[in-house]
Amino acid sequence: MKSWHLDRRMFLKGAGAALGLPWLDCMAEDQKAKQESKPKRFCSFYFPFGVGLPKEDDKKAQWRWFPKGEGRDFEFTESLKPLEAVRNSVSVLGGLSHPHGRGMGGHDTADIFLTASELRGRYFKNGVSVDQVAAATIGKQTRFPSLVMSTDGGIGEPTRTSTLSFNQNGNPIPAINQPQTIFDRLFGTGDAGVKQQRRRLLSAGSMLDQVLDHSRALRRQLGVQDKMKMDEYLSSVRQIEERVKRSQAWLTIPRPELTDEDLALLHLESDDEAPHEYIRTMYDLIYLAFRTDSTRLATYQIASMGDFTTKGMKFPQLLGFNGTLHKLAHGWNKPEGAEDLGKWDQFMAGLFADFLQRLQSAPEGEGTLLDNTMAFYGSSNSETHNNSNYPLLFAGGNGLGLQHNQFLKFDEKTPLSNLFVTVLDRLDVPVESFVDSSGEMSEVLA
Amino acid sequence: MRTFLATTIIFAACEFSTSQAEEKLRADFGNDIRPLLNQFCIRCHGPEEQNGRMRFDTLSTDLIKDRAAAEDWHETLNVLNRGEMPPEDEPQPSIEQLKLLTGWLRTSIDDAVKARRKTGGLNVMRRLNRVEYQNTMQDLLNFQMNYVRDLPPEGLSPDGFRNNGLSLRMTALQLEYYLEAARKALDRVIVTTPEPEVFHHEFDKSNHKKWLQNPTISDNRLDRVSIFLARMEPDYPETGDFLIRVRAHAERNEGFGFPRMRVSIGYRPDTKVILTTALETDVKSSESEVFEIRGRIENFPLPVRGQSKYPGLVIHIRNVYDDGTPAPPKVKKKNDKGKEISVDPDEPDFPKLFVDSVTFDGPVFESWPPAHHRRILFESELRETNEPGYVREVLRRFIRRAWRRPPAQLEIDGFAKFFDSLRNDFPVFEEAMRETLALILISPDFLYLAEPAGKKNRKLTSWELAARLSYFLWSTMPDDQLFKLAETGELLNPKMLTAQVDRMIDDDRAWQFVDQFADQWLNLGGMDRVAISQHYYPDFDYDLKPHLRNETLNFFMTLLRKNRSARHFVESDFTMLNEPLARHYGIEDVLGYNFREVALPTESHRGGLLTQGSILLTNSTGEDSHPIKRAVWLRRRLLDDPPDPPPPNVPELASENPGFAKLSIRKQLEIHLEDPACASCHRDIDPWGIALENFDAVGRWRDEIRRADKEKKSFSTLPVDHQTELPDGSKIENPEQLKRYLLEKRGDEFARTIVTKLLTWSLGRSLDLSDEPDIAALTEDFVQNDLKLRELIHEIVKSNPFLTK
Repeated sequence: MKSWHLDRRMFLKGAGAALGLPWLDCMAEDQKAKQESKPKRFCSFYFPFGVGLPKEDDKKAQWRWFPKGEGRDFEFTESLKPLEAVRNSVSVLGGLSHPHGRGMGGHDTADIFLTASELRGRYFKNGVSVDQVAAATIGKQTRFPSLVMSTDGGIGEPTRTSTLSFNQNGNPIPAINQPQTIFDRLFGTGDAGVKQQRRRLLSAGSMLDQVLDHSRALRRQLGVQDKMKMDEYLSSVRQIEERVKRSQAWLTIPRPELTDEDLALLHLESDDEAPHEYIRTMYDLIYLAFRTDSTRLATYQIASMGDFTTKGMKFPQLLGFNGTLHKLAHGWNKPEGAEDLGKWDQFMAGLFADFLQRLQSAPEGEGTLLDNTMAFYGSSNSETHNNSNYPLLFAGGNGLGLQHNQFLKFDEKTPLSNLFVTVLDRLDVPVESFVDSSGEMSEVLA
Repeated sequence: MRTFLATTIIFAACEFSTSQAEEKLRADFGNDIRPLLNQFCIRCHGPEEQNGRMRFDTLSTDLIKDRAAAEDWHETLNVLNRGEMPPEDEPQPSIEQLKLLTGWLRTSIDDAVKARRKTGGLNVMRRLNRVEYQNTMQDLLNFQMNYVRDLPPEGLSPDGFRNNGLSLRMTALQLEYYLEAARKALDRVIVTTPEPEVFHHEFDKSNHKKWLQNPTISDNRLDRVSIFLARMEPDYPETGDFLIRVRAHAERNEGFGFPRMRVSIGYRPDTKVILTTALETDVKSSESEVFEIRGRIENFPLPVRGQSKYPGLVIHIRNVYDDGTPAPPKVKKKNDKGKEISVDPDEPDFPKLFVDSVTFDGPVFESWPPAHHRRILFESELRETNEPGYVREVLRRFIRRAWRRPPAQLEIDGFAKFFDSLRNDFPVFEEAMRETLALILISPDFLYLAEPAGKKNRKLTSWELAARLSYFLWSTMPDDQLFKLAETGELLNPKMLTAQVDRMIDDDRAWQFVDQFADQWLNLGGMDRVAISQHYYPDFDYDLKPHLRNETLNFFMTLLRKNRSARHFVESDFTMLNEPLARHYGIEDVLGYNFREVALPTESHRGGLLTQGSILLTNSTGEDSHPIKRAVWLRRRLLDDPPDPPPPNVPELASENPGFAKLSIRKQLEIHLEDPACASCHRDIDPWGIALENFDAVGRWRDEIRRADKEKKSFSTLPVDHQTELPDGSKIENPEQLKRYLLEKRGDEFARTIVTKLLTWSLGRSLDLSDEPDIAALTEDFVQNDLKLRELIHEIVKSNPFLTK
């Protein structure tokens, strides 16, 4: 029995949230705008517990995650070697972190990786994540505003989130973890034919009105806490109403068709028992979603910080690495441990590099898919339990005015959210600031 | 100063058991705390300076009355926890001093929050979780389907349960998939097509040869490798219920196991074989028996007609009995044509399964439209004579079951109006009805257990009580009997309530309770997150994991149904075993895959949860035991006394000792304890796990610890060091002593833990201070009743929290 330190006031304050997302009335105009401007995309990837960081003069220094050197003059260690192939599209960022995360528990910071927020109250109220800030604007241009994925799926628990994305009210957006489900959403047409779909969309519209009417009546009979639950429900209903409208607008636009080659890439049946195929397939789904312009925003949490609860914990073991994820991370400064962890870091970097290369091999306009896609990859621990000096990669977007092929070192005065300000700016969603930002991150601009 | 709201992170994260915190950390403000404040804080936060507008010498220590002071103290706790104060260049308190200070702060704040609660004990509207939704849809529609495939997984509440109203959130994605699942199911439940053609097949011989990799032995007599295949092409249904009858018998030698029949359905598109199991059972008799399998064909993989390289739907039967030994090497043999081939040798003692014949019928239905259709769209003249009246009656009956209460006339009218509004777009009656019913199934009254109430607690209605009972003990909706007793009000009669609880516990659906409750209380799901090292345990069979889990579930169920004492959870002279598990534990003479009570020989060292493989494996690394995880498990799950979570930036273990990795975990932990920062917590953790060091990662007894070398070429061994001393000085040398200690010295805490866990589950909410008298009373009764589990459940359903909104 742990929770009678619950303060009702704290609880309530978080709940009176504004509901619903703005709906853009004119789809046709959107379509036009879409043809005129090139798509700009952003995706984020997260892994827990940090990386191997033996000292630079250590005999295991080749397994230090951060490169040797600095600026343009840097050399990947073994840990990031796979990125050599896409070097011209990658920046390594050192020294950055979210100031609000620095005082948090060693395993608690995954929640704020993309929000930079302070977790507030008994219910660890979070803020909006950078991808969802963008989704509120550019999300309207595609069939899906954003794609939210993770290995554990759902929302997890506060401080052990299993999603990277949080909506405008700071509520977690459930991540999907089954490749088949993601595929069906993106590319499937479902059981029903178009005619039935149209009828059902229409009836869904009035269905939701009816539900809202009825629920309001029920709501009046409820006590305070129940009302909050009801508001969460009503807010979900309103969001689906918007989705239904959106689907109606998209109904006449056929779903993108995939080639046999595309389909051969995917292991839709894979799950956490086959980590290599599984992670790769999740990356591939993002690649396909981007290439077909089904969405322009994606987040993917490869494993969560729930050290006893994430399905990702056993990934290294299943692949023949020397221990669980947490054990590897803990071992970085033990004899032999640095290499064990370094090899895992390298494996993970390899999957990310493959993804970048796939984007690079897909032409788009004058350049490639990668030129119009920004990819952000990293963890909120440097080594395990340490919430500063995040290991971070920022890649792609060469066509969006970014420059790469550099190892940038920052000090603690620069908040990581400066990068988010720059990302949003490049996505044509300019913001004055993002939570605790102190400016933009000009170092990554060409 | 930030608000109270903004500063509760650490507070909530510290999982302190209050009673324990009070005992251990209650410090006296004047004697213990004020001197520390004077020493470390007062210079900048006192009469001279009030940095951050904070001043300790005048700050009230009555946190209960002075809310502003409580907020300031809370902020103080936060900055201390975050290590922000005192500033780095100022003198720092010692770890003990810091602990004293934060302990006092925590308890004082805790008390204040408790005192302020005014509406304790209210149940929050609780959404059905995935399992409950699946079960409920299935029971409501009388139709088997995977309703939750796309629903996102749910997180655990702070109490570790998945049925906590506050933790179960609703999101648009979720609601979207609820609607999809409802429509998909109703499309099948309510039919508009004419009576379908029925296919009938009979097979006396395995009729298919070129199906798997060569050589495939297709046969009626099944040993380790042969397969019985019955292919249907092109006449098989793609929708509807089917009935398969397999006639089979066993050929076995006395003293050996029973053949185990696995019947699957599927097809082979190209190189892969896609199968789903429909039945798995021991075949015990040497006389032929008929095994009937019923199911929905669309729940099985079906070939796309015209696209398969190997067309047809196939019934696939294998003998999956595993005697625990690898298959013997192949031997050379000449075939009919005199050519030499490799075949599997005959194993005379391996039990054989003989399939006499197989029949398939599908789709089967006792009438058309099928029963699940008629349950909703019942037959009545009304439909012709008075459609609006019929529609209202259909809705009334459906809503009553779906919403677990009779609907108001106004509610029925609302849905009837909706139905009418659809008739233009949906000319077919059934189609419009499907949409209307789907609407009922995305209404909050269905998706949530709603007990509408204002600010005050009130007694539950008989309908609400029926729902609480069924979700407590069945994880699904009430059945007809419960509904009937709700309607008449008889359920509110305590005698009737007791009788119903007994009926429910003995009903099959009680497995749905055990399956969820035991899983979450004991964290059995943790097994799936541990990968067993193939290097350390090359003969560990992954199929053993479900058996390990079933041991614990069956054990729980046996204690419950037979009204045995919960003491057995700690210490027991029996456990529940089947053949593979008994073999794993080294216990002989258990044949067959069904679980049964097995008396444990003393030398087995087993008995009770702590020695069950499921628990030991979950709390291991997959290579070795993990004494800390085991200790934390024990304290959290059996004593409700979890240690604090690790603080931020935990120091790493010293790595100077080059032989560190080679030491036993026990020795590593000893070095760990030399560091005072670690010792303050780990002194109370490690010993609990060390007592179980004789059990390896997969839960087998061991006398030495094996440790692989770096290249994974060889193993070295270390002695098992299992002697330990608990914080109160008790010496523990083996699991038996640990168990005795738990029952004798910590028995009350253990009893209280079981009460707390079950009560939390039954209510679907976290407990709070207002429940304290009920917890105490239930615990007292429980102890007096010799910890009888079934009695406890009877008491819980009669307790005030359970009967009150």
